[in-house]
Amino acid sequence: MSFYFLRRLNLLVFTLFMLAMASFGLAYLFPGDYLTNLTGIHFESEQQRQLYATLYKESDGVFWQFIAYLDLLWQGEWGQSFSSNQPLYQEVTTYLPASIELSAYALFVSLVVGIPLGFLAGLRHNKLADYSILSMSFIGYSIPVFWLALILILILSLQMGWFPISGRISLLYYIPLDTGFILIDIIRSDVSYKWDAFNDALRHLFLPTLSISIVTSTIILRITRRSVIEVMGSEYIKAATARGLNRYQVILRHGIRNTIIPIMPQLALQFTTLLTNAMIVESIFSWPGIGNWLIQAIYQGDYPSIRSGMLAVSSLVVIFTVSIDIVHKIIDPQRLYRQRVKI
Amino acid sequence: MPLLDIKNLTLEIDTAGGRVKALDKVNLTIDESEIRALVGESGSGKSLIVKSIVGAINDSWTLTADRLNWKGSDLLAMSKEQRRKITKDDIAVIFQNPVSSLDPTASLGEQLEENIPDHLVGKGWFWQRQEKRKQIVSRQLHKVGIKNHELCLSSFPHQISDDVCQKFMIAMALVSEPKLLIADEPTMGMETTIKSQILKLLSRLNQNRNLSILFVSHDLLAISSMCHSMTVLYCGQTVESGRMTNLRKRPLHPYTKALLDSAPSFSKDLLPKSNLSALDGTIPTLQHLPIGCRLGPRCPRAQKECVKIPAPRHIHNHYYSCHFPLHRPLK
Repeated sequence: MSFYFLRRLNLLVFTLFMLAMASFGLAYLFPGDYLTNLTGIHFESEQQRQLYATLYKESDGVFWQFIAYLDLLWQGEWGQSFSSNQPLYQEVTTYLPASIELSAYALFVSLVVGIPLGFLAGLRHNKLADYSILSMSFIGYSIPVFWLALILILILSLQMGWFPISGRISLLYYIPLDTGFILIDIIRSDVSYKWDAFNDALRHLFLPTLSISIVTSTIILRITRRSVIEVMGSEYIKAATARGLNRYQVILRHGIRNTIIPIMPQLALQFTTLLTNAMIVESIFSWPGIGNWLIQAIYQGDYPSIRSGMLAVSSLVVIFTVSIDIVHKIIDPQRLYRQRVKI
Repeated sequence: MPLLDIKNLTLEIDTAGGRVKALDKVNLTIDESEIRALVGESGSGKSLIVKSIVGAINDSWTLTADRLNWKGSDLLAMSKEQRRKITKDDIAVIFQNPVSSLDPTASLGEQLEENIPDHLVGKGWFWQRQEKRKQIVSRQLHKVGIKNHELCLSSFPHQISDDVCQKFMIAMALVSEPKLLIADEPTMGMETTIKSQILKLLSRLNQNRNLSILFVSHDLLAISSMCHSMTVLYCGQTVESGRMTNLRKRPLHPYTKALLDSAPSFSKDLLPKSNLSALDGTIPTLQHLPIGCRLGPRCPRAQKECVKIPAPRHIHNHYYSCHFPLHRPLK
């Protein structure tokens, strides 16, 4: 068991190391001075450049340069942005929570919608309910996210005026930045208009969450449905029926756990798909998230931002994937107790 | 009145090649406190009969029967809830593949406790009932020969070896104190010593508790030592059934004779190095079933009439379905 953890951790560390290496390589590959690409500073004098050259160990060869880069990364010295001249570490930590927040709510919504519908479809396999849920999910799966987002804005925001078009919260409300997650920040703040602001933030969240969770719900629905069909056709479900349990007892005691455990990592990994989808949706809804920020950086040729943004997002995805794997291992009895017992 | 009375049970399965009768007019009766053997080759539909009795068949299969009676009341005509109650209280099944018949994510203890009927636990606070359950469970495991019950109960199905799993299945079937035990190849893959222990346990239960057993197997030696009567199945058709002694002394159906001849321990006058007798060919697949008597193409006594399904005939309690049974000379 501890060997497994070690292997996973090794994988994690090694992947992060490779990512850091790639981001370091980017500094050389981007046009312009490599030191400028790393620091984000357009040097005005040779003296200033010398200062940073010693910091990044320019004279010591690529290997020591990389070590120095890793050291600085670890200290949070990620350089600064070309366009805003702000430290990148600060920029990323402001924008990333907004994306994580959006994806997390979307994942929550997709799970709440997808799993029950998947169960319904799987339990009514080859019946009307199954077919109708499946065809609905097919439609949902085929709709392009950006198009759906635009249509939603067009109908629900512009024509009906029910939801705001863009942004995270109305300009009327000032919320001090604390965790970066807007709903949590509002609850933790001491402002008098707390619940109005909360309501407003929810209304802002609705459309982006809806447009990215539709696709993920359909994926989750399909994964769940397949697993339910597989489990309900298995020998032990038949055996449980033969023992005289009724259908609900069979499903509750033996069906649900066996359905969910094998697909849990697949479900959780949808988070990474969501994060990528969220990037598209962010730029449509002007959601101040990392995706929107990265796209702006790409437009402006802001190389330090591209480098660190890429590093931050991919590290997040890698860390998330590995932790899901470990959590699944802890929960799943079949994988946990590998060793056989002697009786 | 027989405990279980099945008449003309037909099970149809939709396959790619059309509808197939996996079971064709099967007849089977089990009397009270009787051990009945159900014999047949693999793929002859033994397990399908078991599943039909307890109602664990796929929704897409069609099951019809003239009679499927449990103590005189028709299982097919009664409501789902009533039938479930009967299968829960009175019938217990030992399944063929023990590992795949157990929930892989629940510990064995949970699964065994789930099977204890409430009336055995009695009344009391929940911890008292839990205590009682624990007692019943450990006693039951000791009975089937699992000594280290605590380890067994806390482990998961994939952790224990196959024969312990098989014993556990038996414990699970017996814990509800059923009237009929359906044992679907209960000793498959066991060592000989453990096998004889299990068989002894089953016969003891039959004698002491009046437990009726439907013993599904193809182990003729075990069957002849413990069973009172036998039903022979070929390819989804019952070919012969009757008292064990009658069947062994004078089989009337060519298939039963071939089956008995194929077991060397039954033929006393077998010379050393002589060939063992066996029917030519193999059991046909479900897609290529012969019409009429399904043994037809392999039967040494087959004639023109064999393309029609033979009606069941009987001499006293000895039933057989054959146009040309062995006691009548061929014309």
